[in-house]
Formats: sequence, structure tokens, C-alpha cells
Amino acid sequence: MFNKVLIANRGEIAVRVLRACRELGIKTVAVYSEADRQAMHVRYATEAYLLGPAPSRESYLKGDKIIEIALKSGAGAIHPGYGFLAENADFAQAVEDAGLEFVGPKPFAISSMGDKAIARKTMMEAGVPVVPGTKGTNRLSDEDLLRLAPEVGFPLLIKATAGGGGKGMREVKNMDEMPSALSSARGEAKSAFGEDNVYLEKLLIGARHIEIQVLADKFGNVIHLNERECSLQRRHQKLLEEAPSPVMDEDLRQRMGEVAVQAAKAVNYESAGTIECLVDSDKNFYFLEMNTRLQVEHPITELVTGVDIVKEQIRIARGRKLSFTQDDIKIKGAAIECRVNAEDPYNNFMPSTGLISHIVLPSGPGVRVDTGVYAGTEITPYYDSMISKLIVWGETRAQAILRMRRALEEYKVVGVRTNIPFHQTMMDSHRFMGGQYDTRFVEEEFDMEEIAEGKETFPDIAAIIATLVKHEQTERAAHIVRRGERDTSNWKWLSRWERLSK
Amino acid sequence: MKYITTIDDKEFLIEIIDDTHVSIDGKIVEVDFESVESQPVFSLIVDGKSYEAYVYQGEEALEVLVKGRLYHSRVEDERERRLRAASGGGVAETGTFHLKAPMPGLVVSISVEEGQEVKKGDVLLILESMKMQNELKSPRDGVVGRIYIAAGDSVEQRKKMMSVE
Repeated sequence: MFNKVLIANRGEIAVRVLRACRELGIKTVAVYSEADRQAMHVRYATEAYLLGPAPSRESYLKGDKIIEIALKSGAGAIHPGYGFLAENADFAQAVEDAGLEFVGPKPFAISSMGDKAIARKTMMEAGVPVVPGTKGTNRLSDEDLLRLAPEVGFPLLIKATAGGGGKGMREVKNMDEMPSALSSARGEAKSAFGEDNVYLEKLLIGARHIEIQVLADKFGNVIHLNERECSLQRRHQKLLEEAPSPVMDEDLRQRMGEVAVQAAKAVNYESAGTIECLVDSDKNFYFLEMNTRLQVEHPITELVTGVDIVKEQIRIARGRKLSFTQDDIKIKGAAIECRVNAEDPYNNFMPSTGLISHIVLPSGPGVRVDTGVYAGTEITPYYDSMISKLIVWGETRAQAILRMRRALEEYKVVGVRTNIPFHQTMMDSHRFMGGQYDTRFVEEEFDMEEIAEGKETFPDIAAIIATLVKHEQTERAAHIVRRGERDTSNWKWLSRWERLSK
Repeated sequence: MKYITTIDDKEFLIEIIDDTHVSIDGKIVEVDFESVESQPVFSLIVDGKSYEAYVYQGEEALEVLVKGRLYHSRVEDERERRLRAASGGGVAETGTFHLKAPMPGLVVSISVEEGQEVKKGDVLLILESMKMQNELKSPRDGVVGRIYIAAGDSVEQRKKMMSVE
């Protein structure tokens, strides 16, 4: 059983895993790029080793070097976090081949879920409903796809089999758009994943994106930790998640949970994983994909179930049984997560780089902040724009919304623009409050200015403050010629020092 | 000291009366203003109501964060304001522009002649006031019309000095 874990990641998730290890009394090894020498995860770990220059492919994606550092430092396991190498079956295999434990599923489970076409086939065979679309795992040519498109029906989605993060994905409204959408989806997939295979899926209108968290140990015990509602997205990037979902009922929850467990068992899954589904307005659900790793939004599940998912992952990797049975898992209250990104919501979510000169994180009852930044952090263009995750818990969903509003108001970042105003507006939106939203809401119907209208503002207070600040600056500039408060001049001090050291 | 402070598009006339009194658009309020050491954090208590603000220098203006909302501000004292008005800020791009003295002062020099073509931003004349020489610029392209003053003249505030057509 290992007593030292290497964390092959950076940012908030590296810190999250480090915290779990600390609580378990496990030693930690951090790895970092040249840009991250001062980062929190480096300072927080027991040991830290340099990987290479800032770009990911020269640092956090260097699997060989990471394994080499693990062996050299005597770490018995590697936790990949999310992103980077987390869903790379070859890396998981190499870790295993080096005699180390990979904190995650077996390479077979990663690869069979990593190829979306294989995943769909596996799920269909296991009796799991999938979004209607093309079947089979064979490579489909453009002619095949053009022939199959009317059968799938419009509107539809072209998706890369190796896809993720919305890359290699195109919406198609009619046959005329098919050829150009196909070539652009293939092109994008090729450059993102080195592989241009695509398949077709019916585009479900008005659907919600709901996912089920599962946990599985090495003894075949699989449980689910209920759902997370992740419909609030922009360009297929999640912005805000909540648990439980406002549309969920006990019957649907149970059915989806059972199917998620079945899906995990179909690939002999172990560790933490997530079954992503689309749920239509008639509460039919369809398997979308399985994420074979820890999810960004895992904390909301932790807050409503009381299960520490990262500690469970480590426990599982150490060959222990799950500490919970399905009957132990209950939902208490409601949790919301806002992803705070360095991007400007007033300027089409343009990424904002720069130095965070000052930051105040919210705290107090029911508030959790997972972050890797601090005052002095440089937001560079090398890594993603997420600064932190703000997660709140409330006895009810309404309480959680009120608490999130309070926490967002406390949250202050100086130096880069953030999407905090977006989240504040979302908390004020009647559609969000009513739980009435789907995956298109943010992009097609959400209007920041319209919602902000009529809200109490304080331009007079801002005017007084700005004026007083400017007035003080002017006064100070006028007083700068005045000598310092100390009665002895600095020159005298200096000469005294010099005499003392003679 | 009097200031004209613009928050987003709204103007406020603010006078700092003493350490604890400020008048805003003619209304006198009691203020208690503190800054937190070495941080851009300010605490303002106005007539008993407490506000926390973050103030930092943005690209063009001071940015003020109050109760989770960011306000862009421009603070000008009267002199700066008149200067900006005189140098063409916010003046329409068409019609005859009359350059009026933004403040009482001494015309140091006139940089143009009647009938001369000027481009937007060209210096029209230099006016000395409050011991500072201020360049007054043309707000748009045009031709200099009448010049009503000469170098060395003292002018009163709002005195019409020249026109650009």
C-alpha cells in the first residue's frame, strides 16, 4: 500500500488532491512547469520537481518524465487530476507497467470510454439508452455520413469519436450544411486529437445535461452519488453546476442511478467516474458519454452527500473497499458551484491575462473555495482560464442561491477581469431561480443587461469614493515634498550605520 | 475643492468641504472615509451607512467596485473639466466650433492664423492659467475663422477666442 502520491497536475485540482492526501497522512510529490515555480501546489507539497517549460506539451503532458519522477521520489501512485493526462489510456498503462498505482480506472475502461463510438456501442449492448444516431464503431466515410444523416434526422450533431471539450463538434440544421460542417469538424478533431473520425447524433432540443457520479472499488462494488445538473454551458463549457437538479424526481433519479451503475459495471470500472446524460422535457434520458476521471464539479456532490470523493479515490487505489453502501447515500440540502474564470463577460467572454494584484476569497458559513491562485499570481495564456471554483451549500436550493449571491459579492479580484458579474446576474435571473433552463439557455436566451435592469445601484456612493480617492492622491502628491516624520534624516542614519560596521 | 465626477454616464458635482463633510449635487452629507493599509480597499460610512469599495486604476479611469458592481469613474476638478471641454472632449464633429476660454488666463501664444486649415488635435493656442500653460486643441478638422484675441491678452472665463468652421 502506497504512502506517497505524485499529483500530475496544477492549479486548483492539484491543491484539492494535496489536501486529501494531507488529511490521510500521505506524503505528496508535486510536479510543475517553469511558469508555476511559485504556484500553490508546489509550496503545498512535501516534494516538488520541475517538469520543463511552460507549454503543457513540454511539461504537464510529459508522461514519461512524470513516471520517472514518481519512481525517483518513491511515490507509489500517480493522481492525474482532470485534463492533461487524466483520460490518456496509454499513460495509465505506462504507470501500471512501471509498477505504480494509477489513481483512476484501468486503461481498458479509459480507452473503451474514450472513443465515443465504442462507448455508445458498449452502452447499447449493456442496455443503456443512448442518444439516437449512427451505430457501430467502424470508420464512416463522408458518403456514409451523408447517406445516414436523413435517417438520424435534422437538426443533428457531428461529433468527433475522440472528442471532448466541444472540439470537433458541429451542429447541422439541414442537408446543405452537411458537407462543409463535416470537413470543419474533421479538421478541428484532427488538430485537437490527431484523429478525424466522426459520428452523428440527433440534436435534442430543450434537453438538460445531467450527470451521475459513480464510485467503484476493486471488488466490484459500485455505487452512485446521485446527479449533478450541468446545463448552464457556453460553447460546451460548463459554467455553473448544481446538485440536486431542480427537474429531478425520485423515480428518475433511481432509474438514472441504476443505469449509471450498470454502465460502470459494463467496463469493470473502478475509482470515481461520471456518466453524462441528456434528459429531454419528457424525462427520457440518454447516455452521452462517460468521463473516466474526477470532474471539475465534484465538490457539489461532496457537499450534498458528505462523501469526500478524492479520499475515496485514494482509498480505492490503496485496495480498500468503498466506505459507503448505496443505502448510506442521501441528499442533504442543495449545492451550487460557480466557475470563476479570468474572462470578461461584458466583452464576449474574452480571456483576460495579467497579474492578480489582490484577491479576497469569500468565506463564512456554507462556503467553499477551491483555488490555486493567490495575490501575485500571473494569469498566463498557457493554461485554462479558471481561477477558482466557488461552491456553496444551503438547506434548500433557495438558501443556496441566497448564499451564492452573498459569496459572489464578497469575492474580489483585482488585476484581471473575471466572469463574477455573469454569475451574479445568473443568480438574479428568474429563469435560474425557477430552475427553468436547458443547455441552450446561456447562449441563446440569457441577457446580462436585461436582468441587471432595475437592480439597485450605487453610482452616488461610487462617485463619492472615487472623488475622495482622487482628492487624497492629489493631496499626497502635494505633501510629498514635506520631510519624513522621522526627526533624523536618512543620511544621518546611513552614516551612523557605516560607523557602526567599521 | 470641487470635482465633477462621472460614473458610467452620470455626472455628479462633488465638493469636499472638510475631512468629514462632502456635498454631492448640492446635498451635504457626513462622511467617514478610511483606507486599509497597503491594500486598494476603502471603507466609507455615509450618514451611518457602511460601504466597502475596491478602487484601482483602470486603463483610462479609476474603477470602483461597490457591492459587487464595477463602476468606471472619471474625476475632474473644475480646471481639468474646462480644459477638457476646451480641448474638444465631447464636441460635435460638425458646425462652427467656438473656442471659449475654459478659465480666466493669459493668452501666451496663438498657433494658427485666420483661414488656416487645421486637423483635429492641432494646437490652436496656449492659455496660461493657475501658473500652468495649457494647450487648447481643435476638436475637429476645419478652417480657422475669426480670431478675436491676440497673444498677451488677458481673457475672462468663457470669452470667445476663435472659431473653427
